Amino acid sequence: MNRDNIISIFQFLLLLLLQAFLLNNINFFGFINPNLYLLFILVYRLDGNPTLLIILGFVMGLLLDLLTQGSGGHTIATLTIAFIRPFIIRFSFGVNYDVPMGMIKGSLLNQRLLYLSLMVVIHHLVLYSVVYFSFENIITILKNTLFTSFFTFILAYISLGLFKEKND
Amino acid sequence: MRQLINALLKYKNTLIYLGLLIISLVFLNQRSFYHQSVFSSTALSLSSKFNMAGQNLSSYLDLAKNNEKLIAENIKLKTLELIHFTEKFPKKRAIDTFAFQVMGARIIKNSYNRARNYLIIDQGYKDGIETEMGVISSDGVVGIVNQVTTDFSSVISILHRDLKINASFKKNGAYGSLSWQGKHPNRMKLNDVSTLNPVMEGDTIVTGGMSDYFPHGIPIGKVFNFQKPELEGYYDIDVELFSNLTQKKFVYVLKNTKKDQLNQLKNESR
Repeated sequence: MNRDNIISIFQFLLLLLLQAFLLNNINFFGFINPNLYLLFILVYRLDGNPTLLIILGFVMGLLLDLLTQGSGGHTIATLTIAFIRPFIIRFSFGVNYDVPMGMIKGSLLNQRLLYLSLMVVIHHLVLYSVVYFSFENIITILKNTLFTSFFTFILAYISLGLFKEKND
Repeated sequence: MRQLINALLKYKNTLIYLGLLIISLVFLNQRSFYHQSVFSSTALSLSSKFNMAGQNLSSYLDLAKNNEKLIAENIKLKTLELIHFTEKFPKKRAIDTFAFQVMGARIIKNSYNRARNYLIIDQGYKDGIETEMGVISSDGVVGIVNQVTTDFSSVISILHRDLKINASFKKNGAYGSLSWQGKHPNRMKLNDVSTLNPVMEGDTIVTGGMSDYFPHGIPIGKVFNFQKPELEGYYDIDVELFSNLTQKKFVYVLKNTKKDQLNQLKNESR
């Protein structure tokens, strides 16, 4: 348990700094910046304390917004995704999920993909809705959500693969 | 009590989420000018709709009193019209060159007990209202439009501590700036009037015409009390307003049709 906490803190700081200073400057095709920091919330223990995750998500988004001069979109998006994560888990893994060590082991591939894509898409949808914040820009919001989600998804999937090999 | 605590514990995640969400919305409001303006215009249109409902009722109940006031104003205008027609040379040209277009509006919310007061009127950009238009009533100045939605606008009242209006004496044109101290809704202070000019109690103060918002000569109030500080070259004048801003129903919005030309001149001479 103690070791898990230390790993979590390390992950938190690493992902935050990576996102703020490297990934936000990619500007692939001019506007795509994959939000890999979502990985922290993705790999948080499925049986971990949800209240703590909400607070951690809020702090993460807030720090990211402060570091990148953002308006506050990351704060709201990360907070929201941390709050609805239990519902998404229940939806994708079924009611009686027992995968205490995280999502990597012991679940079906399609369940994992569903979980991953739902988390990523909802996060980006909230993020861009808050950033653009008007009905007239709905096309821009959807376009950004689609492309950025796609790249975040790929990056997150690759990163999860890396974690898995280390764990085995 | 125990049940309450249990309920709180049961919904603690939701409560924490909502609390943090409010904090992040405040954060968003603080940091982004765009979000701030969206929030404030949404709040304005919501609050105007609520106030509109209440105002409709009270204005219906006040119809008789308003009718009397309108008749009184009509009589005044009729006299002016008669004077105008009986003159030998009609001053038609003066009306053509008058730079202000007048639009009527109804007040649906009015405050006068804070340090910075605002009004909401029932006309928006659909009706041709724009920001920075002057607002007057039948007997004085009311304020300046500062925000406009489709159907409503908010007006900075002259009872607003940060607003200063150019005002002058009717008798000799000595001018200064009029501001509100935040105490009494009927008293304002006229500053920056040079002690070279004679001042008497009871002198009439009118708008100065040096701002883009109001034409020259709208009556504002009269000198109520004044002091002449020994070491400074400016009077300290208290003005009593003619209009009672605490019981206004209708206002007129003034559109300066020649503002473009004024702005052009200002930019060129800069």
